[in-house]
Amino acid sequence: MSNATLGTLLVTLGAVSALCGVVLGVFALFGWRVNFWRACTLLVGAMMAAALGAVLVMERALITRDFTVAFVAQNGSSRTPPLFNVATLWSALEGSILLWTLVLCGYVLAVVVKFNSRRHDPMMAPVMLTLFVVCAFFFLVMVGPAQPFIAFDPLPLPNGQPFDGPGPNPLLQNHILMAFHPPILYLGYVGFTVPFAFAMAALVTGRVGEGWLLATRRWTVMAWGFLTSGVILGAWWSYETLGWGGYWGWDPVENVSLLPWLTGTAFIHSVMVQERRPMLRVWNLSLVIATFSLTILGTFITRSGALESVHAFVESGIGPWFLAFFALIVAVSLALIVWRGDVLRSPGRIDSPLSREGAFLLNNVVFAVFAFVVLLGTIFPLIVEAVNGSRLSVGSPYFERMTMPIGFVLLFLMAVAPVLPWRKASSGVLSRRLIWPAWLGVAAILLSVLLGARGAAPLLAFGLGGFAGGAALRQLVLSTRRAGLRGLIGRTNGGMIVHLGVVLVAVALAASNSYVRQETFELSTGDTAELAGHTFTFVGTDLVEYENRVERQAGVRVDGGQVYAPAIAVYDFAGRLIGIPSVRSTLTDDVALSIANLSDDGQTVSLRVTVQPLVVWLWIGGLVMAVGTLLAIIPGSRRTSLMAGAVPHGVVQTPLEQPLNR
Amino acid sequence: MKHSVLAAFRHGITPRLLSWLGVFLVGVSAFLYGALAEGAPRTDADRVYALAQNFGCPVCDGQSVAESDSVVARNIRAQIARRVDQGRSNDAIIAELETAFPGNDYTPGATGLSSLVWILPVVASVAGLSGLFFVFLRWQRETQSIATPVDEKLVTEWLSDATTTTAPTGATEPGDV
Repeated sequence: MSNATLGTLLVTLGAVSALCGVVLGVFALFGWRVNFWRACTLLVGAMMAAALGAVLVMERALITRDFTVAFVAQNGSSRTPPLFNVATLWSALEGSILLWTLVLCGYVLAVVVKFNSRRHDPMMAPVMLTLFVVCAFFFLVMVGPAQPFIAFDPLPLPNGQPFDGPGPNPLLQNHILMAFHPPILYLGYVGFTVPFAFAMAALVTGRVGEGWLLATRRWTVMAWGFLTSGVILGAWWSYETLGWGGYWGWDPVENVSLLPWLTGTAFIHSVMVQERRPMLRVWNLSLVIATFSLTILGTFITRSGALESVHAFVESGIGPWFLAFFALIVAVSLALIVWRGDVLRSPGRIDSPLSREGAFLLNNVVFAVFAFVVLLGTIFPLIVEAVNGSRLSVGSPYFERMTMPIGFVLLFLMAVAPVLPWRKASSGVLSRRLIWPAWLGVAAILLSVLLGARGAAPLLAFGLGGFAGGAALRQLVLSTRRAGLRGLIGRTNGGMIVHLGVVLVAVALAASNSYVRQETFELSTGDTAELAGHTFTFVGTDLVEYENRVERQAGVRVDGGQVYAPAIAVYDFAGRLIGIPSVRSTLTDDVALSIANLSDDGQTVSLRVTVQPLVVWLWIGGLVMAVGTLLAIIPGSRRTSLMAGAVPHGVVQTPLEQPLNR
Repeated sequence: MKHSVLAAFRHGITPRLLSWLGVFLVGVSAFLYGALAEGAPRTDADRVYALAQNFGCPVCDGQSVAESDSVVARNIRAQIARRVDQGRSNDAIIAELETAFPGNDYTPGATGLSSLVWILPVVASVAGLSGLFFVFLRWQRETQSIATPVDEKLVTEWLSDATTTTAPTGATEPGDV
């Protein structure tokens, strides 16, 4: 059986299983639950097998260069290196939807395994129904507008050579991060499906208390961690590959990955308020729904070509499908919230704005405004075009001007919120707990000024960063004093490590954006240029042949030491020339070199040099955030006591509100 | 001098308050010095780069003139460099580019329909913060209206008991100094 036929059969099996699951879920919703869980398990197993099988078939087709599969003919090549051959799966639309579906099925299978002990809980029927609906949508997209296994007849080329494909977009096969960034991003995007399913189930069953939050707490944090890592890896890939010396251009595709991160971050904080006090029910449900629906909206924007983007590698006709699904999610969710309006009224209240829950509430408003600014700026060109037909661009000056004050407020809250007690704080307590973090903030400003930093915005960022970092360190010192290394795990302490990562990222963003220097030099062999205290000597060119490309490299000696080799690569089959930058990273600054032009005789080069301080701390900060997320998922001492049967302080539980996964 | 410090302490100026005063004085002084002092002089190349970052490449998908290596972007960069050499202002340079390539200025205008992109976030922020303010106000009123004198007496008694036996939740924690 050919790969195309086998793949089509597997995708069809997955679609049929998911649709059967939807029917089963609807029946279960109306009370017919005979063998419901067993049938669910079988159907989820079938979906997983179908998705995994389809991915393996596609990988086999890519690795063996089976050009009878149209996807391989369009995106594969005999010259693509092995690692990128595997990664070709997610370099184009059909394959990326296939990967998304596999990740989704993996999450659904994990839900079935994890909640097996709760299979008789009436809440599980709407949970599974929601998951089956989402799975059915993605399988149907693969049956409809994004079929990965269309058959193709690979005729020999006019010169008599056997057929060969162009390979993936050259930009997607010249850096190893391409192998990791999309799968990790998908693990984040798709992971929010699980809390979304529980939120919908809470609305359907009317059990809108804290049970669904506790059940999905770690799932949410895990998805958030993957999304964070995926976004930062994407910025890193962009920095190392695109050659313009930046990592974040406020491009629509970048923005849509930030949107669910913002709402997800707000949710992770506001959840703690609802766990302590039975309040913010509508708000938390809305945040989960917004986070999930923004991942779908983001996919629409990324794949439909509705907005111009440097990252829009794959455009197709699936846009209307995703837009319709987005509209369905929003409509059903709003209808359910309105329907459950009576039970969603929260009985709790906050005693004082000067409390941790008060700070979390303010943090949520700020995150919501942040998300609104990013969404508005991203879709505003579409709105203007729809209203008066004129063209308008919204770019980095707008986003930086609008988000900078928001970032300052968030850093300030990161400093103050962790030291605030629940319920109410006195000025004495605040004064006592904030004094050392405040001195750390002052020290950060002093040190920056002594090192030559100038300008209000970066100094404010460094000062607030020191303040927030001090507050997080204070919490970690206290908890490790009490519990040793165990004081680093659990939601609160892991969260503080995440805060430290955020501080590193914020400081790196402020420094690299404020003190970036860029200049283009015309250099002949032996010439030396100077920028920001660094010297660059053009030592000559070299021609290097790789399996999939030929590179013309320009040797540039940096600071009289090592020679770096930015290049222009020719992917002859794809017929494209792309620049390949070369970056020297140190803990203090990065020097990024890229070729703007290279003369035919290789004697002169137009060299673009970008010098940015502290860029490497962005990636280190991302790593710290990932480690913090992992530590936050591990149950801490408080969580351990919860699992042993204790009820968290302030949570009012009724039998229906019992957490599902003790 | 010694007497005046002691007198200040007697009147409630604690070491912590002095420490906060130090934070304020040192922090604000260092900040103001760094914010107002002249930094490294900006070169023409820096200006060209900043201007190129603020203008979209007309033939590229989502790349600024600074980021793109297309021929058009390179020509625009060269034009910006010429105008900077001629001593034109940033606004004049961007206006000239916008006339030649409409719709590529990355900073939306502050008039007409495009002004909404500036106004709406401010409106959203004000609405969000006002909403929060009024919610807290309502909660404060509800708390005050619910607590009767008997309740308050009970709380006072409990607090006085608690301070002698155990501290109330969140008021203190190990390591607080």
